[in-house]
Amino acid sequence: MAKHALSGKSPATWGVVTVLLVVAIFGTLWVPIYARSAPKLGPFPFFYWYQLIWVPVSAVLCWICYLLLRSKPRNRRVVPR
Amino acid sequence: MSHINAVSLVIVIGSFLIVTYIGFAAARWRPAEDPMHLNEWGLGGRGFGTFVSWFLLGGDIYTAYTFIAVPALVYATGAAGFYALSYTIMVFPIVFIFAPRLWSVARARGYVSPGDFVRGRHGSQGLGLAVAATGILATMPYIALQLVGIEAVLTTMGIGSPTGNSFVRDLPLIIAFAVVAAYTYLAGLRAPALIAFVKDLLIYVTVIVAIIYIPGRLGGWGHIFNAASAHLKTVNPATGKPYGSLVVMPAGEWAFATLALGSALALFVYPHAVTGVFAAKRRNVIRRNAAMLPAYSLVLGLIALFGYMARATPAVNAGVKAGGGNPQLSVPLLFARMFPSWFAGIGYSAIIIGALVPAAVMSIAAANLFTRTIYKELISPNATPAQETRVARLASLLMKVGALGFAIELNKTFSINLQLLGGIWILQTFPAVVIGLYTRWFHRIALIIGWAVGMAYGSIEAYRTSGGGQAHFGASTTSVFGHVTYIAIIALILNIAVSAVLTLVFRRIGLQDGYDETRPADYTADPVTVPAAPAGTRPPAVPSAR
Repeated sequence: MAKHALSGKSPATWGVVTVLLVVAIFGTLWVPIYARSAPKLGPFPFFYWYQLIWVPVSAVLCWICYLLLRSKPRNRRVVPR
Repeated sequence: MSHINAVSLVIVIGSFLIVTYIGFAAARWRPAEDPMHLNEWGLGGRGFGTFVSWFLLGGDIYTAYTFIAVPALVYATGAAGFYALSYTIMVFPIVFIFAPRLWSVARARGYVSPGDFVRGRHGSQGLGLAVAATGILATMPYIALQLVGIEAVLTTMGIGSPTGNSFVRDLPLIIAFAVVAAYTYLAGLRAPALIAFVKDLLIYVTVIVAIIYIPGRLGGWGHIFNAASAHLKTVNPATGKPYGSLVVMPAGEWAFATLALGSALALFVYPHAVTGVFAAKRRNVIRRNAAMLPAYSLVLGLIALFGYMARATPAVNAGVKAGGGNPQLSVPLLFARMFPSWFAGIGYSAIIIGALVPAAVMSIAAANLFTRTIYKELISPNATPAQETRVARLASLLMKVGALGFAIELNKTFSINLQLLGGIWILQTFPAVVIGLYTRWFHRIALIIGWAVGMAYGSIEAYRTSGGGQAHFGASTTSVFGHVTYIAIIALILNIAVSAVLTLVFRRIGLQDGYDETRPADYTADPVTVPAAPAGTRPPAVPSAR
């Protein structure tokens, strides 16, 4: 990502963001993690409750990344060249 | 199914009329100084904040696909259908990565469609054209899927005689679509954005009530899973194998993962999703939404479970069988059998309106593509913004007519294949659009040839698959190296490989590359104002009214 200089965020911030997003994506991309029925949560096989729980997990990961990358709104007008 | 329930019918017609009123009134919502500009008609003035964007993007993404196609697949095959949940979970981190860059460059340069961006970035009219044509092609089956969803509800309600010619049978569908076309023509993107509120209200109410009420009536989740499991274990006489399984089998994992990944990569290169992104007011709106949109994924997961509820309801199974074994009927039938008529009417309305909103956004997005990348580039380079808007309005009507034809003539066994077919095509624009956001390493002509190879391979492979009683276009996966894989992913890999090899060759022989009109700062820009015309295109001969 060649935007470190432009975004004003340190490479460490970008590193953390990258790791969090990769975790968020691989959590459901790597099917063998959750292609099983035990342990059950009540009547729900693992396959179902894992995916349903992963929804808020990935949302929280994205939210953390958003907070890390958030920039103060710049109200100056950018004139297109 | 032959009798019409008057209470449900009144509720459905009533909500359709309310939505129609909102659609026409939307023309006066946040009125623009100059409504005859593509930024206004096609992108709602590019001024939607987090709140409206959330509804609009959610409205684009969660469609009849969610309410009809996914539960139908779960109803018929079990766990395999849950790739859709996996897909909608991983799509938002992916959006988070590249959508802000796409928004910034579009805002800084005044692009209204992915075709615009590709032409400007790679300095290639041909590549822009390829992306635009692909977007229009891929959107057609996706709109058709919305119509199939509406049709499933109408069939369940007993509207439209099952016999007679297809025009009479589909008349209610045609009328509903004509009304939507009319207010989309008039109000542009403002109409679906405003209707999205009503749609979501109906959907959330229906899903919450269903998820609490129906399991109780069916004897609890334990019973629902047992009934589904019992059915999935039985052997399908057509294939000699079980219908499916409650948990993905090792043999199915690869297909599950590639279908999810391919769908997730494809979603945000679809013109309608790009339109939703471009309509946002600020760069941060996109990232904030990536963190908030998963609320819809949760809803999708719950709706997918409706497929099992339907399976555990004997009356639904009988109804599906009576309807010619059409699993698309399972959710509307579930509502009909489980809910009192008035609430079934609410549920039907949620599905119908939930299909009309994305159909409207998709036709607008395809119209933006056509106007900017095909009409303005090839037919009338000197078109004024007002002329552009007029052309876009007509193009949005044509898109709807095309999709209507598609839906009426179509085999409806597995409507999800329509979306997957669209995904195969649209994913072939990924290198030019998404990889193009990060690097210009690829040569423009290499990208065009890579795209052509991906499109050709994907279309031929999809044509060759049979399934669901169809000889062609019956499935969207094929076996490579012993793994069943989503065709879109194989085509994309071929596409990138061809582009990379040819880039090296073209560099070697010194073939001239295109001029990149964008600047690195454009990709992180967060401007408040939008240039009136896209930079880099020929200036109009006659200055526009603005």
